[in-house]
Amino acid sequence: MAFCMRGVRNLELIGFLILFPLLAAVILLFIKNDSARKVVVGASAAIIAIASLALVIGNLSTPPIYYEFDSQIVEIICVAISIAIGLVVLWFAYKYKNILAGVLAAIQLVGSLIFDFAFAPNVHVAQGLYLDSLSVMMTFIIGIIGSGICFYALGYMKDHVEHHPDEEDRRPLFFFLMFLFLSAMYVIVFSNNMVWMFTGWEVTTLCSFLLIGYTKTDEAIANSFRQIVMNIAGGIGFLIALFYCAGTMNTLSFIEFIQLGLSAPAVISLPVCALAFAGITKAAQMPFHSWLLGAMVAPTPTSALLHSSTMVKAGVFLLVKLAPLFAIATAPAVMVVLVGGITFALASFMAISQSNAKRVLAYSTIANLGLIVACAGVGTPEAVWAAMFLILFHAAAKSLLFLCVGTAEHHIGSRDIEDMDLLFERMPQLARNMMIGIMIMFIAPFGMLISKWATLVSFVDNHQVALIILLAFGSAATFMFWAKWLGKLSGVAGQPANVETTVHKTEWVAIYLMTVLALIFCIGLPLISSTVVMPYINGVYGYTMTALDTDILALMSILSIAVIVLLLAGTTGASSKRKVDAYLAGISVSNADRSFRNSLSQETRATVRNMYLADTFGEERITPVAEISTTLIIIGSFAAALATVISML
Amino acid sequence: MDLNFFITTCIGTIAFAIAAPILGCLISGFDRIISARMQGRVGPKLLQPYWDVRKLLGKDKVAVSGSEDTYINLALFFSLLAGGLFFSGGNFLLVVFVITLSSLFFIVAAYSTRSPYAEIGAARETLQVMSYEPMILFMAVAFYQVVGTFDVSGVFLLSQPVICTAWAVFLGLLFVLTIKLRKSPFDISSSHHAHQEIVKGITTEMSGPTLAKVEVMHWVENVLFMAWVGVFFVYSNPISIVIAIVAVILIYFFEIWVDNNFARVKWQAMLKWAWIVALLAGGLNVAFLAFF
Repeated sequence: MAFCMRGVRNLELIGFLILFPLLAAVILLFIKNDSARKVVVGASAAIIAIASLALVIGNLSTPPIYYEFDSQIVEIICVAISIAIGLVVLWFAYKYKNILAGVLAAIQLVGSLIFDFAFAPNVHVAQGLYLDSLSVMMTFIIGIIGSGICFYALGYMKDHVEHHPDEEDRRPLFFFLMFLFLSAMYVIVFSNNMVWMFTGWEVTTLCSFLLIGYTKTDEAIANSFRQIVMNIAGGIGFLIALFYCAGTMNTLSFIEFIQLGLSAPAVISLPVCALAFAGITKAAQMPFHSWLLGAMVAPTPTSALLHSSTMVKAGVFLLVKLAPLFAIATAPAVMVVLVGGITFALASFMAISQSNAKRVLAYSTIANLGLIVACAGVGTPEAVWAAMFLILFHAAAKSLLFLCVGTAEHHIGSRDIEDMDLLFERMPQLARNMMIGIMIMFIAPFGMLISKWATLVSFVDNHQVALIILLAFGSAATFMFWAKWLGKLSGVAGQPANVETTVHKTEWVAIYLMTVLALIFCIGLPLISSTVVMPYINGVYGYTMTALDTDILALMSILSIAVIVLLLAGTTGASSKRKVDAYLAGISVSNADRSFRNSLSQETRATVRNMYLADTFGEERITPVAEISTTLIIIGSFAAALATVISML
Repeated sequence: MDLNFFITTCIGTIAFAIAAPILGCLISGFDRIISARMQGRVGPKLLQPYWDVRKLLGKDKVAVSGSEDTYINLALFFSLLAGGLFFSGGNFLLVVFVITLSSLFFIVAAYSTRSPYAEIGAARETLQVMSYEPMILFMAVAFYQVVGTFDVSGVFLLSQPVICTAWAVFLGLLFVLTIKLRKSPFDISSSHHAHQEIVKGITTEMSGPTLAKVEVMHWVENVLFMAWVGVFFVYSNPISIVIAIVAVILIYFFEIWVDNNFARVKWQAMLKWAWIVALLAGGLNVAFLAFF
């Protein structure tokens, strides 16, 4: 009885989480007044966060639960949405004369219609919704981190409008898309019906498209079309998988699909390849990574929400779900493992050559998604453990960094890392948050490194030599690009004016929320492992296995606390030592400007830039290698999967 | 959670914190004497490094940045913790990560001064870390493949030493060891000679007690790195420990010889060769161990 009650309450909560953001989105579309918007966004974000938290807390250590839910109305809505998406993209393609986007959108529209009317009605999915520990984790990310970012956007977008007086104030549309997006993400993580999942998937693509093009500059429009072309291609991959599932396997239930696949790996080789292709495009893996770089023109909250912490995670979410199949189906596994591994290494290399902070974050996002993709491709319980922690830590730390860069940009007028010199004094709180975010991204004892460590062990245990090599070189590059950024932030000299007093309160709330969350994840790592990650792995594989001992996790947890406390206490600038000027080959004039009197009694200013090694790791050198190698891998895997299908006929 | 693990780690770290500086100081003393003899000089007394550090500790406490000392304290602490974890038989990969954390704090300490010379030194230090890191990871992976666990204590159960099946990785380690020991031709972030183009590089703005801590940190690191060399020779036979010590002495002598006979290279050459060596020696050895 108790279980039953919990089941009912869960189902209601899931329904609420999908529908409520939708309601908020519609209301926000019609609110033009800033203070009213503040109330609605604040309240909605809080309600979504509380509801998500209730779902998470009520379902810690939950086994997978499938709900009997099936509705004709939902089916009709899904058809209506896919038609609407197709028409919207077609209209934009017509308006901006983009033939490729138009053709792809037309193919998808026609494909969807054929599927919806000729194939879908013959297949009945009784259990439309489900809940397992992976969806619980994603609920936390969407509900807490996602709504935190929406809250942050209030202050950010206000500054944005003030900084761009020539632009039309389109904030109602902006917040509509952000909340619509949250709803679509919930649909993806709770739907067992693959058609519903696909609908959510396409809605996120559309939101991303419209948000990238938000500022309507030529660059924004061009980049938004790059995104839509690549993601519709991925969407067509998804659609092919749906056709195959409905046509030959007679199921559209995701769990049934996976179970059938486990008993007959050869049958699912092609649809898994197609789904993996969809995941790879969504997760901005090479050769499709350029859309994510282009997406950085969107306002920063968009980058934080869609392009680092959630939407791109939908891609890896799908791949992690498919992980047990990759363990037995060679063709798609080779594709996913190699594309992920190569993306990790090469994107990390290219990040070294960038001084634009958002581009560094974009490359790092692509790289980390690559690592998650590779883990999913390995497909063992150890690798899935690592993948889930990579998803969790990346979501928190990367959105923190995006928010910090966004706020810094509005107050120092630049997003270039070289201009963040002396940020430690100009924006003391922000710089500290940013430094914590950076450290969590790449160094022991913090979360991302622990996850990478687990990744390495799972690669070794599965004899994935290519991945070990890619991981070793990629990680070395990771150290380089984060360490030099961290160093730039740490510089102290004199007392330049503090420019962070005008930062909006909503921004501080969100930034501190992300920092606290990221630190809680680091400290609570052993607990998260046992209450969320292990139950998922147990539910999927029937047993658990981890790469790292509990002792190590506990030690890391303690060290995380120690490092943060010592760092924050020790860098207040209160030192008993006598202050002197830095050595500058002459008599110092101003330490903050690094100017000195030279041997001719003239004032000289010393300048120094970080190393970007463009000749070695520049985009021009690496991008062609990346695109050609990964394209060949994808083509080869599809050919192998097709050959399997043909040989079965 | 196993309380023993924490107690062992704590005791190991404290013991290492006492023993390693003494040993490291002596190694540094011998290093300077042998280097001097190679150059046809007599060289300082054996305990000269100790007196140098004593003198630094007595100097005025001045600093360019108020945070520098905190970062150096953290760097020293984590180098001691890494040693403690290693000598108490802990996880090899964890040791690697903790010593990397120590390097990071050393780098950030230099950056925090905003001295152009220190910044260039720090940038070059990050390049050094990036150069040796792949090979060090391959070393830990090969260790795991051979021993069956990342725990250093696992070597005492082996019937033959790690070097028998991971000799290529051992050679790769020797190559990057020169970077880790800050010896020529790879002493590009800071050298013992103050006449290079970046003054004293990464330590330009460190003085007095802060610099003393940096010196002690280098001693400690040297002891730890030489222990990595030694662990390749240890197995269940107790005599192997003697063999390991002899091997370590020979290797260190070899490093001094290299230091005195090669001119400093540019970073491009360091990065290129360190990665090529890592790929060939490390990558192939790891592949061989994985498939055969």
